[in-house]
Amino acid sequence: MMNPQASLDSNQRLFDRSTVSFLAVLGIVMAVVIGANALFPQGSALHVSTYTVTLMGKYLTYALLAVAVDLVWGYLGILSLGHGAFFALGGYAMGMYLMRQIGDRGVYGDPILPDFMVFLNWQELPWFWYGFDNFWFAALMIMLVPGLLAFVFGWLAFRSRVTGVYLSIITQALTYALMLAFFRNEMGFGGNNGLTDFKDILGFDLQSDATRLTLFFCSGLALALGYLACRYIVTSRLGRVALAIRDAEARTRFTGYKVENFKLWIFCFSAVLAGIAGALYVPQVGIINPSEFAPLISIELVVWVALGGRATLYGAVIGALAVNYAKTYLTAALPEVWLFSLGALFVLVTLFLPNGLVGLFKKLTGFSKPKEVNA
Amino acid sequence: MVNAITRLTRHTHRKFAAIWHLLLVAMLLAPLSANSTEQTAFKSGLDQLLSSDFNDISQGIRLISQSGDERAFDVLTMLLEGQLYVYRSENQLVTIVGENGSKPIIRPLFTDANAETETVSKRRVKRVGINNQLRGQLKTELALLNLSSPLAANRAAAVKQTLGDIDEALFSRLSEQLATEQDRTVRELIDVALAIYRLQAPGSAIDQQLAALSTLGASYQPAARIAVTQFLATEPEAALARSAESALTKLDGRVKVAELAETLFFGLSLGSVLVLAAIGLAITFGVMGVINMAHGELMMLGAYTTYVIQTLMPDHLAASIFISIPAAFVVSGLVGIGIERGVIRFLYGRPLETLLATFGISLILQQAVRSVFSPLNRSVATPEFMTGVVELNPLLSFTLNRLYIIVFCLIVFALLFFILRYTRLGIEVRAVSQNRAMARAMGVRSEWVDAMTFGLGSGIAGMAGVALSQLTNVGPNLGQAYIIDSFMVVVFGGVGNLWGTLVAGMSLGIANKLMEPWAGAVLAKILVLVFIILFIQKKPRGLFPQKGRSAEG
Amino acid sequence: MTNVVDFIRQTVDRDHVYDFMMPQQNPMLEVGQGFLLYLEGISVSFDGFKAINDLNLYIKEGELRCIIGPNGAGKTTMMDIITGKTRPDTGQAWFGQKINLLEMDEPEIAQAGIGRKFQKPTVFELQSVFCNLELAMAGDKGVMPTLLARLTPSQVDRIDHVLQLIGLVGQRNLPAGALSHGQKQWLEIGMLLMQSPKLLLVDEPVAGMTHQEMDRTGELLTNLAGEHTIILVEHDMDFVRSIASEVTVLHQGSVLAEGTMQQVQSNPKVVEVYLGAEA
Repeated sequence: MMNPQASLDSNQRLFDRSTVSFLAVLGIVMAVVIGANALFPQGSALHVSTYTVTLMGKYLTYALLAVAVDLVWGYLGILSLGHGAFFALGGYAMGMYLMRQIGDRGVYGDPILPDFMVFLNWQELPWFWYGFDNFWFAALMIMLVPGLLAFVFGWLAFRSRVTGVYLSIITQALTYALMLAFFRNEMGFGGNNGLTDFKDILGFDLQSDATRLTLFFCSGLALALGYLACRYIVTSRLGRVALAIRDAEARTRFTGYKVENFKLWIFCFSAVLAGIAGALYVPQVGIINPSEFAPLISIELVVWVALGGRATLYGAVIGALAVNYAKTYLTAALPEVWLFSLGALFVLVTLFLPNGLVGLFKKLTGFSKPKEVNA
Repeated sequence: MVNAITRLTRHTHRKFAAIWHLLLVAMLLAPLSANSTEQTAFKSGLDQLLSSDFNDISQGIRLISQSGDERAFDVLTMLLEGQLYVYRSENQLVTIVGENGSKPIIRPLFTDANAETETVSKRRVKRVGINNQLRGQLKTELALLNLSSPLAANRAAAVKQTLGDIDEALFSRLSEQLATEQDRTVRELIDVALAIYRLQAPGSAIDQQLAALSTLGASYQPAARIAVTQFLATEPEAALARSAESALTKLDGRVKVAELAETLFFGLSLGSVLVLAAIGLAITFGVMGVINMAHGELMMLGAYTTYVIQTLMPDHLAASIFISIPAAFVVSGLVGIGIERGVIRFLYGRPLETLLATFGISLILQQAVRSVFSPLNRSVATPEFMTGVVELNPLLSFTLNRLYIIVFCLIVFALLFFILRYTRLGIEVRAVSQNRAMARAMGVRSEWVDAMTFGLGSGIAGMAGVALSQLTNVGPNLGQAYIIDSFMVVVFGGVGNLWGTLVAGMSLGIANKLMEPWAGAVLAKILVLVFIILFIQKKPRGLFPQKGRSAEG
Repeated sequence: MTNVVDFIRQTVDRDHVYDFMMPQQNPMLEVGQGFLLYLEGISVSFDGFKAINDLNLYIKEGELRCIIGPNGAGKTTMMDIITGKTRPDTGQAWFGQKINLLEMDEPEIAQAGIGRKFQKPTVFELQSVFCNLELAMAGDKGVMPTLLARLTPSQVDRIDHVLQLIGLVGQRNLPAGALSHGQKQWLEIGMLLMQSPKLLLVDEPVAGMTHQEMDRTGELLTNLAGEHTIILVEHDMDFVRSIASEVTVLHQGSVLAEGTMQQVQSNPKVVEVYLGAEA
């Protein structure tokens, strides 16, 4: 409450201090990583291995996914337990493009059909695989498919005013149903094994250092742009309507806003962001399979946001990076401990860190803007 | 040539030296050698079994079966099941009673358990081989032997085995049996068997065939349907064909009804599992507005409790199940109370946070079980009284374990209903769920009620786990598999409504099983999920919503 | 045959307007009377309990109408029906001549010009007082226009004007949650003003207020009357007397009496069911 005026003004600007610092840190990290990989020879103390670059690229796509979740959960109050589905759908769209790029270099050497279809004894490409040999088409689908699913789902759900935990549970059921569906071979997405053994993207070898660096760069760029887009939304009046919906939905309705439309558009936008994140994720990890639809994954990414701090955007990024770094480290070093820690994280964050690490930091440093106004 | 030898063997095998020489001596010396003709036939039958020629063996089987010896049935059964061996050096029939390393331990046939056993090399024993033809013969002979059994069930089984597969000899034998048979089931079966024979026998008169068709049309035996179908394929004359078709329609109708009943039964049993899983959730969600994502893991704990108790008392399977039910209730209930006191009570009024925190707890419980019991699935044995089937008719039978689960589900439901309706706790629980503030003002210790409600819901999850352990393997992922389904049941039925949960669980179970035949198990599940997603949007408060002003907003 | 001819004649006639193309109009409304809100034959029941029973209510333009009635008389349910939160089982509700309230949802009704103030003050607690008013401001409330909206200086002036009116200039940038109970009530009234509705529904604005706050609120409301039509639901008799106007008494979901405060107070039926308890 010390200086609400200042905090208010800064909150309404697109490039406030937090945004500028976030973009600066992101830019510096990317420049350092790319430089250290490209300029210093292997074996040098300053060299960053391509493996690490790809790992960080993966983290950046997770961060973008977390930003997308924060937009709907932090600002709109919709706890989606199915955002992993949008991520995976974007990933599958990219995977389909990459599969078609393999051409006749697959094990069975069929120029059109991906290996798994030959294996299943299919004679021709299913209709929904048409067009995925063009990158522009795949890029369109990466945004369109998650967006469309979000639109149909949201249109049904928001119009009939399904809210709160009910909404969370049916989003979870949605991703669960999709997981079951994608596990089926008949669906034509490679069943259990998913899509993998990719060779190249836009003609560049996926295994080469240069491609990996570029993918890392694209992930960082996507994160920066996605962050800015979300920031633009939350600083606009639309963002304040979102907060109003989150805090007093009925009041917002009586104030003359069609709440369901607002929810729908923000939800769709968030799904598209998640789809883009998934599309950047797949070429870096080299595989997409139905386990990406698992409810556990979707709910895990909610805890990234909760850990970082809701409704701050950069908190979501911090949370995603922290949890995933811990996951990489723990699943390798102490696999038994990982689920215990993740479970404990869920409990501790909800009990003791309602505002996440960002809130804790603000509290500790006495950097206490009136949280209410800033939110 | 072969036939000649067989004939020779039948009459003069004693003189037929060479291979069987030693055996003959052994046989003469054996205690079985008596002078009644009955035993002679039996013994020579046994001798024939030592041959490696199927014709000899077939001869032997007939001799044994016709000998009237009381051991005939056992010998033939053993032969059919491949338990009869020839000990080559002694040329003797033996059984294998155990194994010493890779060497079989053998015991001569018809000696008691105390008789001398011998460990021999594998190469020195040879199974008495049979082919398909012999297998058929064996079955018929066994059936005939059974026909004279004093037990009606044995006689019924015997007739059933011969259905659609009888020759003239058997036909007359069955006709004789029909005259004296008292048991209704056996009589009906014989009727069908005779009808099939009459229908197919080349010399039958048309009116006999018509009568046979009407008998078959009224039957529940699958063999009757096959016989009629086959008969139709022979393109009989118009009157017979019409009659056969009407019989087939009746039979098909009966098959359809049976299939539907079976599907309904499977649906009900799946529904019972869903109801058991969801009903605890319905209480915690409905009464306290708490989303307990660890509910599935509380079920898992119940299943593991069953496993542990069974491991502790492996000799008393049936008792262990009955001990497991209250034990699982207590274990899961206590863990549930722990969760409520330790975490959830700090999060009341923040349902989304509760959801996340309890999900964290579910992860911890899963990993804990993995660390303690290993990540592998454990199988829990089913006690004897729960195995087997109840056969309503030849087309329709219910497995007992599923039947017990349905009954168990209904008992749990009734108990819970009783608790909520008539006990003080139940009244307080309903009071708190309807108006927390008012209930507190009236002196209800709402904290205590919360803990008890949560304990009750969790304990029921534990009992559901006991039931699940009888259906699937017990593993750390047991709970996850059911949690989304249980939520769907609760949401579909309407929150805070026990009847809604029951109806929703049962109808979802049945819907699932109805769709499975044409959609497949996975697609059926997906369709049900999609249906519920659409349903919630239409009726956000479920099938049986709580109405009135208090439920608004 | 004549049918066909008629049909052709209709189709050819340039000025013919098909029935289904005609804008629906409130058939009962007498334009001359200048009714703004028209409720007739409204009934609604919850689980067999009739919350509203054949309610008829006509509000003229510019009127300040007080609605009183004992608990459970259906006051709040009536508000719910007018604002689209509850759908009546039977009856008609028209706003002006052309707007059928029963065909619209809450935001549409709000945009058509009906503002509502809840019994419990509901403002957007985590946002500043200024933001609250900005959100309520009339204008295009679609998604895209909201995304691109920028405050013009004249809009800022308007917000500041309302801030002055409700006396919250000093709290302009405070989060609304930090306001006192009375201030929240005023903010909510301010938000209604920003919506610039033709009809204001105000539900117990002085509940839980000090006497000073109550006076200020009364002043605010009487200032608003004239420019806006106001329906006021209130329990507090003194407050109703102080802003003296036309009073409607609701009882068991229908109108028991209508008139000035004096007339109503002397109505024996009213005394029996309602005031009697106080007297």
